[in-house]
Amino acid sequence: MFRLVLELRGLTKHFPVAYGEPVRAVDGVSMTVAGGELVALYGPSGSGKTTLLMLIAALLEPDSGEVLLDGRDICRLSPREAAGYRLRDLGFVRQSLNLIAGADVIDNAALKLLGTEMGARKARKQVGPLIERLGLSERASHRPEELSMGERQRVMIARALSTDPKLVLADEPTGSLDSQRGEEVLGMLSDICRERGVAVVLVTHDPQATAYADRVHALRDGRLAEHVASRALAPADAS
Amino acid sequence: MKLSSIARLYRVRLRARIVQEMFAVLGIAVGVALLFASQVASTSLDRSAQQLTRGIVGQMRFQLAARDAQGFDARLLSQVQAIPGVRMTVPVLEASANLVGPEGSRSVDLIGTDPRFARVGGQLVRSLRALRFTKLKALIVPAPVAEAIGDSSLQRVELQLGERAIAAVVIPQLLRGPAGGLSGSPVAIAPLGYAQRLTGMSGRLTSVFVGSSPASDREVLAGLRRIAAGSLNVRPATFSEALFDRAAGPTNQSTGLFSAISALVGFLFAFNALLLTVPQRRHLIEDLRLDGYTREMIVEVLLFDALVLGVVACVVGLALGELLSSALFESSPGYLSFAFPIAPRRIVTGTSVALACAGGLIAALVGVLFPLRRAIFSPRGGSESAPARAARRGTSWLLAGGLACLAATTVILLAAPAAAIAGVATLALALLLLLPLVLEGLTGAFDRLQVRFRGASSYLAVIELRSPANRARSIAVAATGAIAVFGSVAIQTAHGDLQAGLNQVAHGINSTTDVWVSPAGGANSLATRPFEGAAARRLRALPAVRSVSVYRGSFLDVGDRRVWVVAPPREVARPVPPGQLLEGSARLARQRFHAGGWVILSRAIAQERGLHIGDLFVLPSPRPTALRIAALSTNFGWPSGAIMLNAEDYARAWGSSDPSALEVALGPGVSPAAGVAEIRRVLGVTGLMVQTAAQREQHFRATGRQGLSRLTEISALVLVATVLAMAATMGAMIWQRRPRLAEMKVDGFNRGVLWRALLWEAGLLLGAGCSLGALFGLYGQLLLSRALVRVTGFPVDFSPGLLVALASFALVTATAMLIVAVPGAVATRVRPAVSLRE
Repeated sequence: MFRLVLELRGLTKHFPVAYGEPVRAVDGVSMTVAGGELVALYGPSGSGKTTLLMLIAALLEPDSGEVLLDGRDICRLSPREAAGYRLRDLGFVRQSLNLIAGADVIDNAALKLLGTEMGARKARKQVGPLIERLGLSERASHRPEELSMGERQRVMIARALSTDPKLVLADEPTGSLDSQRGEEVLGMLSDICRERGVAVVLVTHDPQATAYADRVHALRDGRLAEHVASRALAPADAS
Repeated sequence: MKLSSIARLYRVRLRARIVQEMFAVLGIAVGVALLFASQVASTSLDRSAQQLTRGIVGQMRFQLAARDAQGFDARLLSQVQAIPGVRMTVPVLEASANLVGPEGSRSVDLIGTDPRFARVGGQLVRSLRALRFTKLKALIVPAPVAEAIGDSSLQRVELQLGERAIAAVVIPQLLRGPAGGLSGSPVAIAPLGYAQRLTGMSGRLTSVFVGSSPASDREVLAGLRRIAAGSLNVRPATFSEALFDRAAGPTNQSTGLFSAISALVGFLFAFNALLLTVPQRRHLIEDLRLDGYTREMIVEVLLFDALVLGVVACVVGLALGELLSSALFESSPGYLSFAFPIAPRRIVTGTSVALACAGGLIAALVGVLFPLRRAIFSPRGGSESAPARAARRGTSWLLAGGLACLAATTVILLAAPAAAIAGVATLALALLLLLPLVLEGLTGAFDRLQVRFRGASSYLAVIELRSPANRARSIAVAATGAIAVFGSVAIQTAHGDLQAGLNQVAHGINSTTDVWVSPAGGANSLATRPFEGAAARRLRALPAVRSVSVYRGSFLDVGDRRVWVVAPPREVARPVPPGQLLEGSARLARQRFHAGGWVILSRAIAQERGLHIGDLFVLPSPRPTALRIAALSTNFGWPSGAIMLNAEDYARAWGSSDPSALEVALGPGVSPAAGVAEIRRVLGVTGLMVQTAAQREQHFRATGRQGLSRLTEISALVLVATVLAMAATMGAMIWQRRPRLAEMKVDGFNRGVLWRALLWEAGLLLGAGCSLGALFGLYGQLLLSRALVRVTGFPVDFSPGLLVALASFALVTATAMLIVAVPGAVATRVRPAVSLRE
């Protein structure tokens, strides 16, 4: 088995509301993810999946608990260190609506690398193999509006992996795709991450998406309610 | 972050927002152009006057100058030469004249001087050294001036001096100033003796320039003051620069005020154009943050956006400003040429460029960074209910901020009208802060009303207006309309008030009689040249003439102001034109004017000296005379200020009974035209011009318009910019709307419904924006008009510009609705598939 990359310890985030009990978005979550492993967080809308991802991405500060990446607690990072962590150690795959309109596939994929000290020319060159691996070589000079939804999502995966991160967070990556395209995208994501030893946390409410996970955690009301073994969540169970 | 990465990121994003970026560039460029052009116009005037003065006086240090056109005895020259420390002296006789050639006439300043002046004077007169100056019996005039009157060389032309018309020979000559550019100055230079003979002032001088070493300045000054004995002026040789600066100040100030406000309007257009791109930039910031960009890196990316935008806008703006300043904003001295013989040329200084560019860059920085400040600097944490709370808090802040800005504007209006630019800025800010609330209120009211309508279009319009996703864009559209109407109403109405004020003066001063007779020449439009007045007796003898009264007037240097002295006949019924009294009772002022011994003073002059009504004011005339202040007035349209007294008091103070004009009242049944013809017949060949009161008033009005030409051009530019900005904003709004229209088509709405919904939405946005803009524009008018009175002292006839407000509202709304109606109809043809693709 691969080495442990991510560990969550008693992670809690509550949101106060004006009148009433606070919303327990994430409530004492603990879990681990190893390098090359794909862990799916499965749950209905409002179950706290996205909040959990935000906590892991150091975009929210937890009320309590720890997020350890390679043993380092990222909750204690300064804003600048947190940004560096997201830039180099983390990849974020979200729904494909956020590609830069007017920029071609290579530029969109190289966005993260532009934030490093690499320089534009080298950044464009560096994402070439990744683009090819994701089957986008023929479409490299196309703009988002000329791509299918599946292709756009693959560009997002290329961007997330462009800095060789240790961890990828995927937030409903198949949300806007049909089942066939969704399977293609998830297949590529899991294969590449496994090849590279990258840990993946996949957040979804699509039961089919969980089929690509090594482990599936069900999330309800901010708690990890159950642990479903792996790659075996049937659509019937999900409902 | 590497610069190449920032540049790459900018370039790839630009493709998708090039149109909006161009609108923003255009808005900022208009502001930069206006700032630059007005700066160049002001600088050109000031620098040209400076070059002319230095071109004449050279290294001379002091000047002993007469206070009137009669000058002083030339024998004083030897007394000046005898002052210890005086190295050299140059006698000068200066007189206003009119050159009439085969193709036209030009007013010139006739300068008679000693040949020595060609050796010791400035570069302008040194260019005469080549000529055998002393023996010359001709006038040397700059070649362009000779050309303007149709004189080629050594031709005989008519020289009109006061009542007389004399034949003279003109030699066109290229004159060079310090910067090689004074060739168009309206001067005519002649040997002193010849000039004295032409003017009939043998043995008289109007000034003596004195050269001395700095070490003996005190001694020389004391000697000059002793000789002046309180009836001549002793001052630095270059003093006319200060006089000109003071005279040009109000025009420059009002131009600067209008330009700054126009620039503000231009920058606000740019700001609104940038607001249209806020959603895109906000998405970018969210993405970059997720991808690990630090705040500093995000700011670097946005700063680069602003820098490119600002630099491009500055380049375009400077090019546009160059065009404006050379084609429209001529640095014409206008009516200042009555008292200062200058022909300015365009002078561009580094300061003008730097000021305009700084304005453009600041506008770009604020436009890009300000709307995104929350997205950039929001903390890492947060709560799910934050947006709702922020919205509630936002509404309260908007209301509080808007009211605070309105209060600040009112304080400026009442307590510090001179700070009008700041006042307009706070007013514009109040408008922008209150606009979202007005829009929200109007949308709510429309929502309650629209349930009575049949059809879905009004319903869709309300949905779109209430959608948080559309909020920034909706406010940007409404704000563009609001600022457009606000700017054009404020500037046009204030300009109208100023023009009306000048027209009042023109009517009030000229309508006191039927026919005016005064020395010819454009520079004598204000009747400031005295003449012998021998014609008066002949005119009184005419059967068509009921009476001939003597009007006196001139320019008088009071401190560093060249003031217009207006001295109507004592018996005139209403000496002060209506609306010109700022302090004091009109009835009492009239009584005191008739009684004599009283003076009506421009408020600016009184304030400068701490004088009030009833105080004694010593008129620094050739015979200094103490008069009491009857009332305080505007400057009657003459920037340096005006002094009014009756013609008899004037004669005493000047020691001369020469008139400056004859006011001829015609007998019953004699038309002004017939009267003028009869008077011209009797006068024969003369240096006098004869005008009906109406003609003279028209001439005054035209001169006033010329003086305000820059302001007129700015007003027109603001209107053009307004229409362009609205076209651009509405075009951008419709183009951005296509995917949403496609989505609605997927939901089953047809083209007609969508088109009507667009019209409803645009109508509501513009209704809220333009009506609020018109209202605030009228407040802006009040602010600007008050500032013009206070700061410049110009006569301003304030009347609320409701008609202008309505016209601007209608023009902007109609333009925008037309743009929505036509391209909107095309946009609604969008294929439903577009929503799926995008």
